Amino acid sequence: MSDSDPDTDRSPSVLARLVAPFVDRSVAERLVISVAAIFLSILVGFAIVLVSGRIAECSTAAWTLPFTGIGFCYDPVEVYVVLFNGALGYPFAVGDPGLFNPGWSPFNLSFGLTLSETTLLIFTGLSVAVAFRAGLFNIGTQGQLVVGALATALSVLALVPLLPAGRVAGVVLIVVGTVAGAVAGGLWGAIPGALKAYADANEVITTIMLNFVAANVAYVLVLEVFRAEGSSVVATGYVPEYAQLRPWLFPASSDFALIALLVGVGFIGALYYFVEHTSLGYDLRTSGVQAAAAEYGGVNAKLTTVRAMTLSGALGGVGGAVWVLMSEGRWMASIPDLGFDGITVSILAGNNPIGVLPAAFLFGILKGGALEIGFRTDVPTELVAVLRGLIILFVAMPEFFRMIGRYAGVGGGGVAASTEPDETGGDGGETDA
Amino acid sequence: MRNPLSLIVGTVGVLALLGILGLAFPESVAGDLAGIVFSTSTATSTARLAAPIVLAGLGGIFAEKSGVINIGLEGLLIISAFVSVYAASVVEIGSTVFGVPALAVGFLAGIAASTLLSAVFAVVCIEFKADQIIAGLAIWLIALGLAPFMSTVFFGGVNTPNLGASVGWRYSAALVLLATVGSWWLLNQTAFGKHLRAAGENPKALDTVGVSVSKVRYAGVLLSGVLSGVGGSALALSIGQFVGSGETMVQGKGFIAIVVYLFGNYNPIGALGAGTLFAGLQALQTRLQQLGYGIPSSLVETIPYVAVIVVLAFVGRTQIPEAAGEHYETEE
Repeated sequence: MSDSDPDTDRSPSVLARLVAPFVDRSVAERLVISVAAIFLSILVGFAIVLVSGRIAECSTAAWTLPFTGIGFCYDPVEVYVVLFNGALGYPFAVGDPGLFNPGWSPFNLSFGLTLSETTLLIFTGLSVAVAFRAGLFNIGTQGQLVVGALATALSVLALVPLLPAGRVAGVVLIVVGTVAGAVAGGLWGAIPGALKAYADANEVITTIMLNFVAANVAYVLVLEVFRAEGSSVVATGYVPEYAQLRPWLFPASSDFALIALLVGVGFIGALYYFVEHTSLGYDLRTSGVQAAAAEYGGVNAKLTTVRAMTLSGALGGVGGAVWVLMSEGRWMASIPDLGFDGITVSILAGNNPIGVLPAAFLFGILKGGALEIGFRTDVPTELVAVLRGLIILFVAMPEFFRMIGRYAGVGGGGVAASTEPDETGGDGGETDA
Repeated sequence: MRNPLSLIVGTVGVLALLGILGLAFPESVAGDLAGIVFSTSTATSTARLAAPIVLAGLGGIFAEKSGVINIGLEGLLIISAFVSVYAASVVEIGSTVFGVPALAVGFLAGIAASTLLSAVFAVVCIEFKADQIIAGLAIWLIALGLAPFMSTVFFGGVNTPNLGASVGWRYSAALVLLATVGSWWLLNQTAFGKHLRAAGENPKALDTVGVSVSKVRYAGVLLSGVLSGVGGSALALSIGQFVGSGETMVQGKGFIAIVVYLFGNYNPIGALGAGTLFAGLQALQTRLQQLGYGIPSSLVETIPYVAVIVVLAFVGRTQIPEAAGEHYETEE
């Protein structure tokens, strides 16, 4: 970003300039910060891979620092090449002549897995984002997903014997199961909402505690009552195949149904409309930015809080439903950390529903790529969990990037001049911890 | 409920009632419960479990009193728990470094790691004016990823092997008491304590008398790192192992610590009382499982978490420092 001369002090960075005509400055700034945060966390991840590769034991060095002869067990370049290239199913020919692999098709297994993660992250990301817009930190999407997923699995399994097997029954079961997931997740989300509204209990803590409660209660319910006979793990029986969201175009083992992604995109549009263009959405936003002003303007802040948390929980529950109906085919005890990933997705998206799509895709690439890292390198796949935290940390410190911007003489004026209240800010969340 | 005294009186009252019931009807549930509550093993495991909760809670008091809400205590506990075990295993039990035994080296390394991570948090919050809640969540999630990552790098799995040696519960209890008294003294009897409270309540006044608000806040956050480091190391070394699966062995103790100091109304003595109460619940839970009432263990495990929610609902809005969560711009 050092290519522009100091005279262009007031112009935002290159990327911001490209998108500026389409969006207002604060969105552009946020976009720049998100991209920079990803870049920076990848850089820090690079260092972490190097350092751990220095301490880990191996017979031959995978990578040698140029000019020094110091060997490292892990090759960070390889890790990231595998991560990004692998997540897409190796479209790029690395090391071979030519840029692209001639045999590559977009409908490959790895890309399917990446899109499957993307789909799930859209729902959990939206869940966190909706709460954020109302000034609430819903860290409980994970628990809401666990509860919603169980409700989906149980309701579908209960209805299966009542309906004749077939495509029509499948559609009915999928719809009923998703609604059940949404209702259960919504109710689970309403608990911290009500506690926040009527007892002033900080939602960060209550949602985290409820995550533990949800995981344990769901585990016990399945272990004691709903466990499938002969199952070696704690899991319900499988939902019949006709009631699952089956992969289309992509390989069957990719667990990716295009229809679920399309529904997710539909949810994004609906939520954007709800937040930006309905009066309920307006209440939600204003109580997020300025709770006192919203109350003064006639908004029932307490009810809005409960509503926002219920909606947020319902979205987490739908995420759980999709996880059961598309990914796993049943409820099982080892549910991935999709709720926590949703926090990163939402923060990366600037808590904007539209932004959730690219953010979920990007994080889906990280998650899909992590699987490839596990297959092809010795680096633990937990690396992505580290990146998840780092991205949040860097997005949370816009001032850092503004400083760099000022230092480099780029983007300083435009970016630093924006003094509007930070909407990501949890005024609601931090004044009453 | 806000008065720590009422908490202590209430706890003693419940315990006394339980003792009487247990003595009167030794065959009943109350009898069993009394047997558990007053058994030595419950007391020792309470002391063990109280260390991370109370120490992180004390740390949280320093950070929040200075005006920085540190919601990343959980992350500090996780990182120190892992690093303490890692360092002790590198030194190897039985050997020493400069005459310092392996477990003690582990302890110091754990404290150093936690302090380092809290320094990152401090810079991000104070220098770069990050939203404290989001930055705190990031610290937690970074540690939640980093500790199992490093464990897999060094030991080939998210759980470390057992060291084969551990720190006794008496050390944990002594550390907790020492830290509680020390924190009380530092907060209430020293000029630093006065500055700390001013940085959280009225930073402008502090600035006016010529004390740097950000320096005081750095000190507050770093202290939370040191204390959490002691707590996390004590937790892992009292078992001799780091468990990194799921939410790691810390299992939300850092978040419970926040409730503990809110419940104790930012008073170290109150935090000690509330922390012991929650640790007691967790210890009780373990014993109840061993006794087997036919209640599934996972259900019993939720008791402390439900208790936290109930307590939080009753405590509600506490006397949070006026300027906590806000950035302070020096006016020059």
